[in-house]
Amino acid sequence: MRSPVLRTAAFRMALWQAALFTLLGAALLGIVWLRINDYAQDELRGKVATEMASLRQADADGTLVVQLRQRLAALPAGSDYYLLTDAQQRAIAGNLRYRPVAVGWHVLPLTGAIGKDSSDADQVHLYVAHFPDGRWLVVGRDNRSVVELGEVLGDSFIDVGGLAIVLVLLGGGWASWRYLRRIDALGARAERALEGAQELPLVGSGHGDELDRLAARLNRLLERMQVLMEGMRQVSNDIAHDLRTPLARTRQRLEASLADGMDATRLRQTIGEAIGDIDDLLATFRALLRIASVEARQPHSGFEMIDLSALFEDIAEIYRPVAEDSGHPFEAHIAAGQRVHGDRALLAQMLVNLVENALHHTPVRSRLRLELQVQAGAMIGRVTDRGPGIPPESHAQVLKRFVRLDSSRNLPGAGLGLALVAAISDLHGIGLVLRDAMPGLMVELRFPGTCVS
Amino acid sequence: MKILIVEDDHAMATHIVAGLHPLHRQVDRAVDGYQGLSMMARAHYDLLIVDRMLPKLDGLDLVRELRASGRETPVLMVSALGEVDARVEGLEAGVDDYLAKPFAMTELNARVDALARRPRLGEPATRRRVADLELDRFTRTVRRAGRTIELQPREFRLLDYLMAHAGRVVTRAMLLEHVWEFHFEPQTSVVETHISRLRAKIDRGFDGELLHTVRGIGYSLRAGH
Repeated sequence: MRSPVLRTAAFRMALWQAALFTLLGAALLGIVWLRINDYAQDELRGKVATEMASLRQADADGTLVVQLRQRLAALPAGSDYYLLTDAQQRAIAGNLRYRPVAVGWHVLPLTGAIGKDSSDADQVHLYVAHFPDGRWLVVGRDNRSVVELGEVLGDSFIDVGGLAIVLVLLGGGWASWRYLRRIDALGARAERALEGAQELPLVGSGHGDELDRLAARLNRLLERMQVLMEGMRQVSNDIAHDLRTPLARTRQRLEASLADGMDATRLRQTIGEAIGDIDDLLATFRALLRIASVEARQPHSGFEMIDLSALFEDIAEIYRPVAEDSGHPFEAHIAAGQRVHGDRALLAQMLVNLVENALHHTPVRSRLRLELQVQAGAMIGRVTDRGPGIPPESHAQVLKRFVRLDSSRNLPGAGLGLALVAAISDLHGIGLVLRDAMPGLMVELRFPGTCVS
Repeated sequence: MKILIVEDDHAMATHIVAGLHPLHRQVDRAVDGYQGLSMMARAHYDLLIVDRMLPKLDGLDLVRELRASGRETPVLMVSALGEVDARVEGLEAGVDDYLAKPFAMTELNARVDALARRPRLGEPATRRRVADLELDRFTRTVRRAGRTIELQPREFRLLDYLMAHAGRVVTRAMLLEHVWEFHFEPQTSVVETHISRLRAKIDRGFDGELLHTVRGIGYSLRAGH
């Protein structure tokens, strides 16, 4: 089983890079070697030619043999080779075993040197001259300098190349380890989310790189899934706990009417009450389903541009008489021409719920205000009452399902109105804030999008 | 008036038949979508009451088939799917009215009544008249006994709807849907409040009450009782 680090795409890429680098290095070395070889050979033959010229001069002066002997004595293991023969090609002086036959350049494998270790050289370049009196003069030089240069080059290549490969592999390993660590963290969080754990979203490295983008997307996916899972869990809980009480009450009522010897009128009355109970239950069911369906809806599906100002005006027109009849002075301040992307029916229900809440939970004569304002470029809706308000510590609480504060226990309703408001504002990306209006409650709706000034 | 009920649930169908107003008791029943279609092809009906979720052929498809064959028979769809989206789907398929289950029989009767006598052809009348109350939809004016009555836009719409259904009962839910476009039940007395304001304007100070409350069901605009 290979280590997971070695199985990452990043590490595979590092391996490919190492291979490519090696190939490139080898090609570079080959080219450099060919060029240097050419240059070194030219240099070598130039030296041989100079030597030959100087020995021909010595021959003209009659000191050829003396000079040859001097050179051989001075450099017994040097790279230079000499041979002087008589007309019958018998050696007179020299350190080379060779039988010259033709004038000019010859390249021979190095085997016939006398009294020399062949060092690193494997070739010798010879120039053969034939004197008019029949003697032969051979001057040569072996290629040890070229070979040594090649060896140095090869060694450096191996050193540098080896280091590069090690670095590439280490770097690749490190990169893939980091990659793997972040991917594993993402995966582990997804895994935990699947098991139902709730935690803070995964924070990326902050570089805004591809993994951060992936993390952000995964976060959104997980958040949405958690919302849905939470919603489902809540609905089941709600149904189990909060609907049981009214059902039990209805059952009790019906059971009691069976046990008593009630007359027909009382029975009819009891049945009427039971139907009323069941209607309330059905209304609660509808509201629950509505919240669940709003929560499960994809944002922006079925949205259109709607005239928000006209919607506020409508609500004001509809509720002004209702408020006045129930003894609540009503005022509306609505900025004209504001538009928003949304679902009109849902936004209408959101406003209706807020206005009706304000009417229900405040005493007679407390003022109710509906506003749509443009503030610092944002569209802000407000429903403000002057009633007892909601203590700030309960602001988050009242947005949940079936939450009813003690002060409103004796009023009709199931505690779903604000939960639906929260679901609708979530769907539309509306910032929903509850504030203390001192006294009273102010519900602020910060609409997304641009305002018309 | 002949009514065809397409409903697979026997108990529900029996309940509807028993609850329909005696005037509407000439009722046939089909148990699935295909049977409904073939019965419509063989006989004339004045109104269809169609369940949405039907075996074999879905209620929506049945209505689409019906409309595709050029028939204008009014359709009232009843369904457990009461959400606005489901309702919109129904109306788009060619349904005339959509009622979510469970419903009160009074609600069903009022809607059947409204559909059965709905003028099917041509533009709706621009002038409506009930006794000495006149409404002109074109100039948006209302007069009673020769006196002009000033109405708010929403009150005008409310009166227009009531006059279009003059002599019949309209329920709170029908008014909420058509006048206020609320597809939910408000927790306050929105309908009652606006009706009482309208009543104050069109009835107070005139001879004979026109806008009547039908206890437990809704309202009715008519001359006399």
